[in-house]
Amino acid sequence: MNPPAEHESNKPCFPGLDPHLIFFYAGYFSQNIINAIGDAVRLRLEQTETSGSARRKIFSTFIEMAQNIVHYSSDSLTPPDQATLEMRAGSVMVSHVDGTFHIICANPVDPSFAEQLKPLLEPLRVMSMEQIKDAYRKTLRAETDENSKGAGLGFLTIAKDSSAPIEYGFEPAANNMQMFTLKATI
Amino acid sequence: MEKFYLAATSNTPEVDFDFPARRLLLKGESYPESAAAFYGDILNKTSAFLDTITEETVQISVQLNYFNSSSTKMLFSLFDRLNLAAEEGNTIVLDWHHDIDDETILEFGLELAEDFPAIEFHAHAIES
Repeated sequence: MNPPAEHESNKPCFPGLDPHLIFFYAGYFSQNIINAIGDAVRLRLEQTETSGSARRKIFSTFIEMAQNIVHYSSDSLTPPDQATLEMRAGSVMVSHVDGTFHIICANPVDPSFAEQLKPLLEPLRVMSMEQIKDAYRKTLRAETDENSKGAGLGFLTIAKDSSAPIEYGFEPAANNMQMFTLKATI
Repeated sequence: MEKFYLAATSNTPEVDFDFPARRLLLKGESYPESAAAFYGDILNKTSAFLDTITEETVQISVQLNYFNSSSTKMLFSLFDRLNLAAEEGNTIVLDWHHDIDDETILEFGLELAEDFPAIEFHAHAIES
């Protein structure tokens, strides 16, 4: 007797890998690659029974993380001072466990840059949602930090959409770099 | 002043700034690699246009499906400039479209309405 037909969306997407995996990319990121994998993430999420609101938050978190890799990963194929058409290495993963989505990114960073990131990230772990929204409003109205290629709003945007406090870590990596990981929950 | 038009790409919106007709439109996606570079030109042209008008009505329609954090910052600057034109006696009408499921885009529109009260703000929820 055949086992009952499995619901289409329960079929593992990536044979041999964790069945909760929705999307995974590791390698070099450029804006063109983000455009292409962003389309794949959107379509993949449309196949899950996820509200439009959650899908939009997941997509936004994914784009912020992927663009951070393009701008800030220390593993760069393009010259470090090149400001456009950059290509840098990292990974982004989206998994779906018990109705919750986890979006995790990783990329190597210079140890001195790691020290700059910690004071930006740590407060976001302890702030209430109201405080995060307040900080977001203030940063939106503040002059742009000269060192920031984005708007400095990226981490706040991720934290604002995350239903649990963001998690982050720094681990020693090759070439005296630190491997930066960041996790959001939606 | 001439019309300023950019066709949409996968990560940048259609920009149809018809200055002679006083009608400005942003439509599509907005997550360019550098929002400062993409919006810099738009801001400069809009600012130059606003310098030439007095007591006129300008209609701006924003129909963005998604915009990233750095685009958010640039949009805020654009509306800051439009608000100034409104304070100087022009009528600026903003039609702010957002997907009915997208509270982030609606909330940002409400932030704009709060910060830039001289702009006449209309929110439009779109069924996806």
